[in-house]
Amino acid sequence: MKLKSLLVLLIFSFALIVFAGGTLKLALETEPVGLDPTVVTAFASHRILELVYSSLLTYDRDMNLIPDLAESYEVPDPYTLIFKIRKNVRFHDGTPLTIDDVLFTFERIRNPKTGSPILSYFKDLDRIEREGDDKVIFRFGKPVVMSILPVFASANTAILSKKFVESGANLMLKANGTGPFVLKEYVAGDHITLVKNKYYYNPGLPKLDEIKIIFMPEEISRVTALKTGQVDLALINETLSLRSLPETQFTVFRKPVLSYYLLGLNTKRKPLDNPKVRLAISHAVDREKIVKLVAMGEGQVTGPLSPLLKKWAVPLKELPGYKRDVEKARELLKEAGYPNGISFKVMTSRKYNFDRIAQVLKDQLKDAGIDLQIEIVEWGIFIKRWKERDFDSFVSLNSGSIEPDIQLYRTFHTGGSTNVFGYSNPLVDKLLDEGKKETNFEKRREIYAKIQKILAEESPVIFLYSPNKIYVGQKYVKGFEVLSNEKIIFLKETYLEK
Amino acid sequence: MISYIIRRLILAIPTVILVTLFTFIMIHLVPGDVVDLMTGTQNYLTQEQLRELYRSLGLDKPLMIQYFSWIYNLLKMDMGISLRTGEKVLKMILERIPVTFELAVFSITIAVLIGIPLGMLSGVRRGSKVDIIARIFGLAGLSAPTFWVGAILIVLVSRAFPKFKIFGYTPFFENPISNLSSILLPSLTLGLLISSQVMRITRASVVEILAQEFIRVARSKGLPEKMVVWKHVFRNSAIPVLTTAGIQFGYLLGGTVVIENIFSIPGIGRLVFEAVSKRDYPTVLGSVLFITATIVILNIIVDVIYTFVDPRVRLE
Amino acid sequence: MRRFFKNPLNLISLAIFTLILTMGFFPDLFTSYDPYEMNIEEMLAPPSLKHIFGTDQFGRDLFARVVYGLKKSILVAFFSMVIACAIGSAVGITSAYFGGKYDIFVMRIIDAFFSFPPLILALFIVAFFGTGMLKLIMSISIVYTPIFARTVRSFTLPLRDVNYVLAAKSIGRRDASIILFHILPNILPMIMVTFTMNFSTAFLTEATLGFLGFGVPPPEPSLGGLIGEGRNYFLGAPWVMIYPGLVVAMMVFSVNMITDSLQELMNPRK
Repeated sequence: MKLKSLLVLLIFSFALIVFAGGTLKLALETEPVGLDPTVVTAFASHRILELVYSSLLTYDRDMNLIPDLAESYEVPDPYTLIFKIRKNVRFHDGTPLTIDDVLFTFERIRNPKTGSPILSYFKDLDRIEREGDDKVIFRFGKPVVMSILPVFASANTAILSKKFVESGANLMLKANGTGPFVLKEYVAGDHITLVKNKYYYNPGLPKLDEIKIIFMPEEISRVTALKTGQVDLALINETLSLRSLPETQFTVFRKPVLSYYLLGLNTKRKPLDNPKVRLAISHAVDREKIVKLVAMGEGQVTGPLSPLLKKWAVPLKELPGYKRDVEKARELLKEAGYPNGISFKVMTSRKYNFDRIAQVLKDQLKDAGIDLQIEIVEWGIFIKRWKERDFDSFVSLNSGSIEPDIQLYRTFHTGGSTNVFGYSNPLVDKLLDEGKKETNFEKRREIYAKIQKILAEESPVIFLYSPNKIYVGQKYVKGFEVLSNEKIIFLKETYLEK
Repeated sequence: MISYIIRRLILAIPTVILVTLFTFIMIHLVPGDVVDLMTGTQNYLTQEQLRELYRSLGLDKPLMIQYFSWIYNLLKMDMGISLRTGEKVLKMILERIPVTFELAVFSITIAVLIGIPLGMLSGVRRGSKVDIIARIFGLAGLSAPTFWVGAILIVLVSRAFPKFKIFGYTPFFENPISNLSSILLPSLTLGLLISSQVMRITRASVVEILAQEFIRVARSKGLPEKMVVWKHVFRNSAIPVLTTAGIQFGYLLGGTVVIENIFSIPGIGRLVFEAVSKRDYPTVLGSVLFITATIVILNIIVDVIYTFVDPRVRLE
Repeated sequence: MRRFFKNPLNLISLAIFTLILTMGFFPDLFTSYDPYEMNIEEMLAPPSLKHIFGTDQFGRDLFARVVYGLKKSILVAFFSMVIACAIGSAVGITSAYFGGKYDIFVMRIIDAFFSFPPLILALFIVAFFGTGMLKLIMSISIVYTPIFARTVRSFTLPLRDVNYVLAAKSIGRRDASIILFHILPNILPMIMVTFTMNFSTAFLTEATLGFLGFGVPPPEPSLGGLIGEGRNYFLGAPWVMIYPGLVVAMMVFSVNMITDSLQELMNPRK
């Protein structure tokens, strides 16, 4: 048995050497933190999981939800969601996919002992039914189907092989999915090798034979590796690096993302408990300048919903507080009872661009008589204090979503799980609840437009900007695209034109 | 001699245990725990789920019990699993310590090969051109941040030899040549930096000793200059130099994060740093244990070498 | 003394050293720029007549930032070294001199400190004591005391059983005076060299702590912080990191040159 597999391996490697032309070397900055799809939250893990596993839905290049492992889906009413599962799909170990695997996966997600981060999305789920051998029906007790649809495109709902999981395999280290690539090798701290899934159900895909993902935490390493041709594609975090990677020699893949930087305000602490003060801060900030100074223009100003969501976002010029007006800011402060200005602290960390944004904010706010004192703490300490609401204000990055309810509900509803600002507005609560349930698109749009205007006026959070996600590749890398939710699933359509 | 070594080894055990206890306390006192780092600011777990998560990670028990069960498992050669990836801690460490070790050994070797001769030369010929150049070199090494030197090397080498594989690491047994080339630049970076320290200490020692009485005595005895230099100076300056080399080696074992990051070397420096940042308690404890043990053994070796080099030093 | 001033190298070093000190303590004499003033149009401008060191990522004049940041860095590095040196040397000398159980005990504790990856030790210390200049000084001195202890001990060891020490003992001289008058003078130059050697590293430790997010909070400049921040721009705008580093180098250079020369003074060539 051992000899046979050795022989197969030998032939396989030989074949790879002879026919490889399609190996892409990709440099990323963080390695995954565990590979169990149901459980892990780290984006660095999801990036890999989305190539190895499939979920029922996925995104197309325009960020629309389309069926993936499901052949089709329908929403007959806001309480019901029906998926028709594809036939003739195999897991990487050859096991055929059946409806039992789908049911098993969701059972695992809903089992509190598993600790899945998306469990709360299913709290209104009454039951899951099977119909025939290819239909799965989700029945909810509340009309929430439209708002949780994107969850079915997340790596957290990736379909697992019942047989594989029950065999006791450690999902954190081993993967067996139905995705376009197979996890061949994972050397912690160094690299991951993915090879083409020859039985992938989308004909003609993936185009690459192999992807070697190398982990290089330092930007300078990734940039140099690109320049010397040692990697074909790399994630770039510093916009300045683009100066060394001119578009005459490289292809720059950029996409504005849904995540957004924010200045979060603790509405339970003086002087931030007064909405006029908060609006004053909003007026004192020059968001365009921040994008220029911190991101060198690689980003766009955002409101409570990203302007990328053309269907939902209220145009920025219609939002209160979005035009920099230092005089107005001072006036508002006077009205609020602070004619001599105010002073408060901002907690931040040396991650992404947080500390840089804080510096620019400090500089801008002083023009309106607002003294911002910067406190830089270690990331672990930041998280702890964020959770315990031990801050006057903070600068950080929130993830966004194409679905307004997912983006806004838990952050601004009274008692929401990420509402660390202590914000509570009964009108906003009512609107959020309505928006969750409403199924008519026009009505929903109206509701969320109202919410955005109120949030801009009351500013529990100063929304700043959404950065561009940038990948740079050699000229021969084609077919790649990064999505606004930062996913790189289109590696499945990437090819090398040498 | 043997009894001394054994005694030191036995004494080392409480030191190492104390260090792990200290580490354990520290890492639990620092705000933020592993679950905080896992969930970040995108926390969607309910209270119940959180409690279950803590339980499954073994973090619901009182601290002292956690520590003693770690010690108990240690006696069974089980360092537990990483709270983040589920991998066995012992396996991870054993995979990465040799890498950093190799890096440290090569770096110190380069440092010593450059530093000692330069230091001796410059100490003996004080005031000469050689001395001045050496001292400037020494100072350059002291003031340049590791990152600087590494980055400059990367940029220079990538321009001059674009085909040279700068990043990544190949284990020795897989491909010796590739291994040596992958360790070349990183150890050169560190070696250059450390060599300046070695050079300075050597030079200072040499100057000191040359000025002392017994050199005059040796000279007056009519011994040839070379012999004076080599025999007496070398012996007497060896100890501080050895100490410095030892100290540097020890620091390298835990402090190579920056180099490991830039050159993509999967060493233990990176492992420890990440583990602390992510509060991966078992990994932190296991790594610190290993590093401490290595350093302690190293110090014993250095102390023993003292006696060979300088007969005036007696072992207690 | 005269010989000291005759040597051109020493004069240059003294000049540089004095210049840097003056810049650090009287920054407004040297620049009219505000180190905090941001200027979009001049983001990351290379060195020019207008901005001698160029500008940083926010368009702030780099020379101004360096000059205003000198004082903090100098004070932090200096005081932490003084404390570490004093305590460490005391421990090292006594440990080597008295030997025995005391030596073993102390050295084991020192070993324990050494075994900590220094980055981690610093992380813990600062996480506890927090940031701010005083606490920064404390943290750095804790990290460096073991180095002094072990190094100074190694200087003392060979001298312990040397003739004149044994002779002094036999006469009945007290240990304290033997240490002070016989051993200390012999190793003082070496201690000084160690001091200056680590003085520069202290600057860099400040930068490392800056990476971790500790140290002097922005937008206040400090040399270590500048080097740390500049790291991100190394590829496109190397001056942001190089110039502060150069100033550190010159400071270190001049201090060391002067100390070396002083050491020579104490040991004239025979």
